[in-house]
Amino acid sequence: MGSVAPGAMAVSAGTGARTRGDTASGARRPRRFGPSSWAALGFLAPLLAYLLVLYVYPLVVNVSMSLHRFTRATFVTGDAPFVGFDIYREVFAMPQFWPTVRQTAVFVVVSLVFQYGIGLALAVFFRRNFPLSGVLRGLFLVPWLLPIIVSATTWQWMMDPDSGILNRFLGLFGVDPVWWLNAHNSLMSVTIANIWLGIPFNLVILYSGLQNIPTDLYEAASIDGAGPWRLFRSITMPLLRPVSAITLLLGFVYTLKVVDIIWIMTMGTGSSQTLATWAYSMAFGKGASAVIRYSEASVVGTILLVIALVMGFVYIAVQRRQER
Amino acid sequence: MRNSTTARRCLAATAATITIGALAACSGGGNEPASTSAGTDTAAALTTITVWDPYPQYDDTSVWAGYVKACAPSGITVERTSSATSDLLNSLTTAVKEGNAPDVVILDNPAVPEAASSGLLAPADEVGMDTTGFDANLAGPGTVDGVSYGVPIGANTLGLYYNKDILDAAGVDPASITSWSTLNDALAKVTAAGHSGITFAGISGEEGVFQFQPWFWGAKADLSDLGSANAIAAGQLVSDWIGKGYAPKSALTDNQSASWDLFLTGDYAFAENGSWFAKAASELTDFTAVAMALPGKDGGAAPVPTGGEFVLAPLQKNDAAAHYANAATLVNCLVGKDNQVKTADALGYFAANADQRATQIASDPIWKPWASAIEAARGRTTDLGAGYTAASAALSTALQGALNAAGDSAGVESAFKAAAGS
Repeated sequence: MGSVAPGAMAVSAGTGARTRGDTASGARRPRRFGPSSWAALGFLAPLLAYLLVLYVYPLVVNVSMSLHRFTRATFVTGDAPFVGFDIYREVFAMPQFWPTVRQTAVFVVVSLVFQYGIGLALAVFFRRNFPLSGVLRGLFLVPWLLPIIVSATTWQWMMDPDSGILNRFLGLFGVDPVWWLNAHNSLMSVTIANIWLGIPFNLVILYSGLQNIPTDLYEAASIDGAGPWRLFRSITMPLLRPVSAITLLLGFVYTLKVVDIIWIMTMGTGSSQTLATWAYSMAFGKGASAVIRYSEASVVGTILLVIALVMGFVYIAVQRRQER
Repeated sequence: MRNSTTARRCLAATAATITIGALAACSGGGNEPASTSAGTDTAAALTTITVWDPYPQYDDTSVWAGYVKACAPSGITVERTSSATSDLLNSLTTAVKEGNAPDVVILDNPAVPEAASSGLLAPADEVGMDTTGFDANLAGPGTVDGVSYGVPIGANTLGLYYNKDILDAAGVDPASITSWSTLNDALAKVTAAGHSGITFAGISGEEGVFQFQPWFWGAKADLSDLGSANAIAAGQLVSDWIGKGYAPKSALTDNQSASWDLFLTGDYAFAENGSWFAKAASELTDFTAVAMALPGKDGGAAPVPTGGEFVLAPLQKNDAAAHYANAATLVNCLVGKDNQVKTADALGYFAANADQRATQIASDPIWKPWASAIEAARGRTTDLGAGYTAASAALSTALQGALNAAGDSAGVESAFKAAAGS
């Protein structure tokens, strides 16, 4: 369900850009549907078909499912009654709804802040080439290359409360063992694992962004007497802003839809339940409850979609402001 | 110029046609079978029997795979597909909706009432399955609202394994463990002697609930009343194990394989686990593992839940008679009188017919401690039918809450009260 979101984003961003182009050219010449328009349509058709079949159709079905009351039985027979926004109201009234929204917000915001912060720090660090910097940079990509089932299981293992290596390590400093994956701490634990997972992505994109900043700017500023902090604030940050914006947007969408790492570590129990894991568990009858809730899952899926869409618009707005 | 326009028009028209074709293909949705494919279906139904089972651990070269394939009459091949237990019911739902369900599906027993009441299964009468001769407690989940849908392929249940070396060293006599208090005494003794206590699976979902049921039922608690004092007492028992350090905190996320692995380290004195590990336990070389009955609260053996799968025939939309005939052939082969023990052995289960099981148990002493447990085992869905799925979900939430409370009685009580209200 969550994986639909980034696609939806791409669609919305794409159409947004195209609309602008159309109005600009449409003002100059009159609109007529001639032979060349047919040809244009023909060229457009494969893309349209692709978008319709793989993006629009699933989205429409998703929204439609959230408006019909589906159970396992009505899913099979196909005659789920139309109930309007009843299921939306029910989902909003569920006791776990607002806590889940809050946990999702914490998960996404904390993950993004740390992923971006650490990623940026590492990117700046690797900007100056030193012996073995390439190897070291490569090593930082490891979390990205490992299958998530492996890294998540390893995290679960390291966070074992009785014999995990994390608690052993903390014990060296006299810290009491932490029950990482219990209801209270599980949000913190999955967030830590997710930050670790997201750093390489931020590092790679921000590093490539840094490569595009001309070195003469730094040299000129240095001659004018700027220190490293001033260089970072007045050159690196402003020139990196477009790259930062797309990194944060993609990071946001990726984090919002995260199911796998949370699921493998805690199955979304306790505070680690997010909208994405909740939707997954209801859609497939996984986790604590094997009761299948197609419609409720579609409601949560639609909410995720809307959030992602809003972020897409925010991104477009930011981009426009930068262009000006 | 002229030519190129024509070419472009052609291309456009072609592309448009493809698009429309693709859309038409999509909007068909597969609800109505095309007449051409129905013809091929009939032919396929006669020569292949499709089977879905929840045993992905057995690959194509396994004893089980060979065994199922050998069940096909001459001229017919068996096509077996395996997926995880938790995915099978969903896959079946979609398949029945699309009209391409397998001939035979092997479903976990607590899922049967929900599958039947959602209209996924064909009644055994209609299929021509023989449903007689199975123990009532084991065959129970197969009957929903008076209609029988299938039969158990075999049965398993839970018991208490103990590490004899640890118990001997700590001076604990396993025969003294007959109730919760004597079990707790034993746990106190072994942990005082520097060993670890007991492993069990408290994982969220049906698997954790299955493991909790012997304690729950052993306290005379009822699935329809999760807030009762008896239910809370059962929650308190396992919660205290975590709180006192008898059980690992990872029980919260451990499944039965993970908790078995912990027992295999040799650190733990006890393990609550399934009869399917009996064979492996008897072959251990590092220490001696012995199985016994799980104790009830005030003494005597606790009622254990029945485990194991059912063989069923999914509802067919096309060529039902041919598919059902296939299903009946295969089912009657798998669980026919002559093959029950062989089938159960291939899966590490017990035969679901008392006489057959007696022969099976007599053949190997490792099964002995399990004989009475299987007979006394209780069907999980017997009381609530299709309502069991929701009750199990609530119990799972309560159990997770109790384990998180780590002995805190107010926490355990509120977890069970909250689950009762949900």
